[in-house]
Amino acid sequence: MRAAPQELREALVALLPRLRRFARALARDAHDADDLVQIAVERALTRAAQLRPDAPLSSWMFGIVRNAWLDELRARGRRARLFAPEESAEQIGDASQGAHADLLAVQEALARLPEEQRAAVALVLIEGLSYKEAAHIMEVPIGTLTSRLARGREALQEMLGETTGALR
Amino acid sequence: MNFSDETVMAYADGELDGATRAAVEAAMASDPQLAQRVARHRALRGRLHGALDPVLDEPVPQRLLASVQGAPAQRRAGKTPLQHKAAPRWSWPQWGAIAASLVGGALLGPLLWRTPAGAVHVSRDGQVLASGALARALTEQLASNQPPGAPVQIGVSFRARNGDYCRTFVLRDESALAGLACRAHQAWRLEVLAHGPAPPAAAAGYRPAGSALPASVTHTLDELIAGEPLDAGAEAAARARGWQP
Repeated sequence: MRAAPQELREALVALLPRLRRFARALARDAHDADDLVQIAVERALTRAAQLRPDAPLSSWMFGIVRNAWLDELRARGRRARLFAPEESAEQIGDASQGAHADLLAVQEALARLPEEQRAAVALVLIEGLSYKEAAHIMEVPIGTLTSRLARGREALQEMLGETTGALR
Repeated sequence: MNFSDETVMAYADGELDGATRAAVEAAMASDPQLAQRVARHRALRGRLHGALDPVLDEPVPQRLLASVQGAPAQRRAGKTPLQHKAAPRWSWPQWGAIAASLVGGALLGPLLWRTPAGAVHVSRDGQVLASGALARALTEQLASNQPPGAPVQIGVSFRARNGDYCRTFVLRDESALAGLACRAHQAWRLEVLAHGPAPPAAAAGYRPAGSALPASVTHTLDELIAGEPLDAGAEAAARARGWQP
């Protein structure tokens, strides 16, 4: 059965918090992230017929959010590839900072990752998807996904420092 | 035993099969460094969750809830990079996909879709119907006598096997969409809508009727048509009868 529109809309509403979290990991700026979610919802509604009945809606939506983000990055062009300025390219994050500051530090670190590493980290480590699901959404082989994930992790650990207990 | 970084990572992410997982766990019991590598991966995951999970508890902005209900695109106030991007609207290419998907009974339900040209809408029972200039052209314009520069070019008119009158058309705007509509219940129901070839330059003028239709349109025509297309006389007579069978 094809998802009826009202069912699809209800499922989308339920998914909005996760889509916002995922978009926030990608885009950093909260308003930009919500714009991404909105664009993705609008695209999803126009493409409802493409949703395979047996495919999880969440995976489909993560893919649409990510593609919307890629479109946005292309539109911003090279200048806005979100590489951090040189002078702040050192450890960010500090165990003494509060939760909000930690959010900023994590987002700053995520923003410095190459896009494909950031997407891999967001899908697997934040959204909790399996490697297989994440690879499917990113349209890459699993081996590519795992190497992006490994590199993204390594870079994040260096940027964020070992403030959560484990030793180097 | 020495495990690669990717294996340790996969272990921490719960991605290993039973045998490899058991091997890592056995090694961790006697190898604090390995245990530490795993802990490091898990700590990062925890830190990312700690930073981003509060987003889950934020109230969802009204504009997002509205967009799920299909409200007109509404962006927040203020200038931002994303805002300069064209707000997604119902574009003709999307329309082609939707309309095509509707053919064959896959109904999207009681939605009123808007199009830039106002040429198509979806009825309450999910049918894609012509409206506006397209509907007028389908009702009034004769293929044999079309005003030059008309926004809609009628291709052929014919009777379908069920007796309904149907007509092919090409939109002569940048969308270059072409389609086939049949008259039923006082409305023009779209059977197919597809991308046509690039429209001729404005100066190029008239394009021969029936030519340059997308394959999906000619295919639908072939499937539906009973006999031959109407000639000019039969077409005018059908129009005079209001396209009633």
